[in-house]
Amino acid sequence: MKKAETVYNSKKRKGDKQLGVLFNGGKVRRRREWRGLKDTLYDFGRWLYLWGIMADASVSRGFVQGMFRYRWMANYLAVPHMLDKFTMGMRDEPLRITHTAMDFVVKDVAQCIKNSLRGDRRTGKDKAYSDTCVLTDENAMTAFMMGFPMLNAILREVPCMFSANLLNQYSAMHYLDVAQEHGIPGDVCPMPEAEAGMSIDDDFPVLGKIAVQVNTTCDGSLMGNGLIAKRLEREYGIKTFQLVAPMRHKEEDVQEYAAQDIKNAIAFIEENMGVKWDWKAYFECAKRVNQTTRDRWEWLQINSTNYPQFIGSVFSLYNDTNYMGNCGRSAAFPPINEKIMKLVHQGYERKTMMAPEYRHRCIVWGVQPQYVIDMLYWMVNCWGVVPLTDMLSMVIDKEIAEEDTPENREQAYYDMAYLNENMIMRNRTHGGYKVLVDELWELCERMNADMVMMWEHMSCKALTGMHGQFEEQARERGIHLVWVCHDLCDPRVYTRQAIRDQFNEYMRTVMREEPLDPSIEVQPDDNAW
Amino acid sequence: MRDLKYLTYFENLLQEANNELIDQAKKDGKICVAYVCENTPEPLMNLGNAFGVRLFAPNTGSMDVATYYMTSLLCETTRALLERAIEGGYNFADCVIAPDGCTMMNRCVENMELLRTMGEGNDSFFHEYMEIPLKADENGVNLLVLQCKNHILKPLHEKYGIDISDASIRKAVEEHNEVCRIIREIGDMRKERKPRITGYEFHVLTLATYVAPKYLLIDKLRETLEELKTRKPDDTEYRARVAVVGSEVDDIGFIKVIEDTGAYVCADRFCFGSLPGRDVIELNDEEDALTQLCRSYVYRGQCPRVMNMEKVYGRKAYVNDIAKEYGADGIIYEQIKFCDPWAYEKTVGSVMLRDDYGYPVLSVDRPYNISSSVGQMRTRVQAFVESIEIKRLQGGAK
Amino acid sequence: MNKCIKIPLMALGGAGSVFAVLFTIYFFNLDMKFMATFIEPFLSRHYDRMPRNQYV
Repeated sequence: MKKAETVYNSKKRKGDKQLGVLFNGGKVRRRREWRGLKDTLYDFGRWLYLWGIMADASVSRGFVQGMFRYRWMANYLAVPHMLDKFTMGMRDEPLRITHTAMDFVVKDVAQCIKNSLRGDRRTGKDKAYSDTCVLTDENAMTAFMMGFPMLNAILREVPCMFSANLLNQYSAMHYLDVAQEHGIPGDVCPMPEAEAGMSIDDDFPVLGKIAVQVNTTCDGSLMGNGLIAKRLEREYGIKTFQLVAPMRHKEEDVQEYAAQDIKNAIAFIEENMGVKWDWKAYFECAKRVNQTTRDRWEWLQINSTNYPQFIGSVFSLYNDTNYMGNCGRSAAFPPINEKIMKLVHQGYERKTMMAPEYRHRCIVWGVQPQYVIDMLYWMVNCWGVVPLTDMLSMVIDKEIAEEDTPENREQAYYDMAYLNENMIMRNRTHGGYKVLVDELWELCERMNADMVMMWEHMSCKALTGMHGQFEEQARERGIHLVWVCHDLCDPRVYTRQAIRDQFNEYMRTVMREEPLDPSIEVQPDDNAW
Repeated sequence: MRDLKYLTYFENLLQEANNELIDQAKKDGKICVAYVCENTPEPLMNLGNAFGVRLFAPNTGSMDVATYYMTSLLCETTRALLERAIEGGYNFADCVIAPDGCTMMNRCVENMELLRTMGEGNDSFFHEYMEIPLKADENGVNLLVLQCKNHILKPLHEKYGIDISDASIRKAVEEHNEVCRIIREIGDMRKERKPRITGYEFHVLTLATYVAPKYLLIDKLRETLEELKTRKPDDTEYRARVAVVGSEVDDIGFIKVIEDTGAYVCADRFCFGSLPGRDVIELNDEEDALTQLCRSYVYRGQCPRVMNMEKVYGRKAYVNDIAKEYGADGIIYEQIKFCDPWAYEKTVGSVMLRDDYGYPVLSVDRPYNISSSVGQMRTRVQAFVESIEIKRLQGGAK
Repeated sequence: MNKCIKIPLMALGGAGSVFAVLFTIYFFNLDMKFMATFIEPFLSRHYDRMPRNQYV
């Protein structure tokens, strides 16, 4: 079997060493982490900043009405708790990287909530604003909006479902129950199912003149869209367009089809919104998309060394937000990237580590619930296993055309189709087994990993359909494959500890290792948000 | 009613994937094109010296090995097919064509390929995966044409020298249509108040046309049609006429369980069914046959993965149309357990057919092989039939 | 005491008190405890009582 070289931390950790002291089985932590004076004060400052963002959002149009109208809004009470989860055990540069990235994600989501409630027919009631909005799928690239700077792409499922689930593990349960009461079985992916439940329960803000849906990640997602579109069209009169992202996206012979449908989507928006596509804006966005790609690969390059800096759920979340939700449309991201880049280089040069030792270098693969729990940071702190990257962060590496020329204008449709096909997760779960299985082993080589933590999302048919292949091929290659089963956003199926126990069991029985921090091997946070 | 002369013969063909007609066709030197989804234009599998067989796994018992490869959470159809492939049950195939229709079927065939379950000793053997349009529009037609060229016609021609000319496609479509006309004519008998054929018998005939070489079946189908024309129906009325709608039913036992409760399956809107699978494909001389064939598949398809809203609403309207045409008193929406597309389609369809069109609807999931769950299914269907009867007695509409 | 010294001292004392209060809230997680104990249960009860227009 492969074995990574153990890397020891030459610096002594300041502050709390046994993180188990923070937990008492309640909804929230007993207290916040002591990280040494300097880092605690830094964290305190960021806590104040977060409350500032929340206070600013709370005085926006429709916010108070929204708080009393929409069940998902209550989850946003837990924003600081989420940051505590994602900064577990962190000091120095990783703490600052995580805050820089995550606080910006919080700001971005807060803006999305403000926009959604402003245009909402029930709360903000700003019709003029609503008429400039296009509803788009949460789990889809917004590339088709890159040339419409005069319009607002509203990813309403982000604050209602996706982000809410980062904050509170129970956030989707009510909607899952509603969906299942109406006949959708419990074995489909809970993410689109919760979205369907939210639509059935009439808990989405209603805004926008039109909607564009994409067959995002899976059959469940595709099918859930139909149900949501039916309500949008029939009850609210919001016309929807279904944009195609081909399944076999690596094949040459599907690209024309995909590009043509991008053209159709743009024509649909132009026709219904009465606006014209702006090429100048498009190519500006394209430049930012390319910058994002380069930055991501540079961070990954550093993660392939002995001193990874930008890792875990926040690495994935920040990349998802920037790459997919933003897709080059906002000029606010590049400065944040720059800040992160500076910290990443500084941490690498100073050989900053997040645990007393790194024993294993791990690729995190599969469909991940790592946002909901603090699993990846827990792995580092508890077992010294460093998650180098995850499946959702392994998106495009090719740059798109960014100069405005007649040839590039035609190429742009193919580039938008390429982005659309390569939305996170589905670029791996679809497109044949090579992108899911074969490329994982190539990545292990490239990142010098000796372990794969395989999130087995039990309702993800695309992933579990390759279960046996993963197992046999990992064995052939001598890679430790740790199966960790879960049900994404339904904690009733797998609790947090049940998820961690699968990893604990592997580390104890197969690897025969002892935890670095035994106080969190069993972490009483099953009841926590 | 008197037993149909060839019913047992057709039933026997459905006892094994590798049935005697496949064996005979192979002995005739024909090339067997195996496929797995209704979105694949069927006549293209029957070009020249080739014959198409849609894979199924009758009498499936244990699926343990396939469950290891794909876990217990994938739909049983796909696990049953993989299990059968691992057992060597599809060794008759000379190639497999798999549209990336649903994820699970795609994974099933990928596992077949990776485990090298077929094609041993046949250097020409190939697996091909196709992209299938997600919307019913002209862009989708263009895609399907290209996919058929690249993933069906080209490899069949290059590997097996199959004639893929326009004339050859037209001939295959005509032969396909001949089967369709017979099945449709027999199927139309289900519209009668006292039908001359049971839903079970019709399902047996229809299913055989998917899983056996058509050219070897056609004579017996013709003879059966003639026999039916003079067959005297039973004098008794059925308790309720139901349309069965849903995911693939390649298990003759399922329709039998429904009819054992006194119901009559008057319409079959499921994969492996005749609506719309056995619709005649009309070709004109102005446009090439392949494009027309693909257009017919893109627009007539009732697969839930087709996501444009015209189709989303249209599928329910289609069920309403056939229910009216075939005189259904109620609708049974069924899905194979763990099927994502039909899980949602069944939910929305059940609501729309009940609320928008006023039909009583039963919504059920089922295992691949109904013999593992006969009691449960019978109870559900019996209760449904009784509820229809009670409504009728109370004078309620539908 | 001279006014010039008193005002900065008072400002410093005020800022120090604000800091002490906020830091106590922060460190002992009082913000989240308050939300989890009072606000969330109140809102959850409110949402459960709301009539919903459910529609598939």
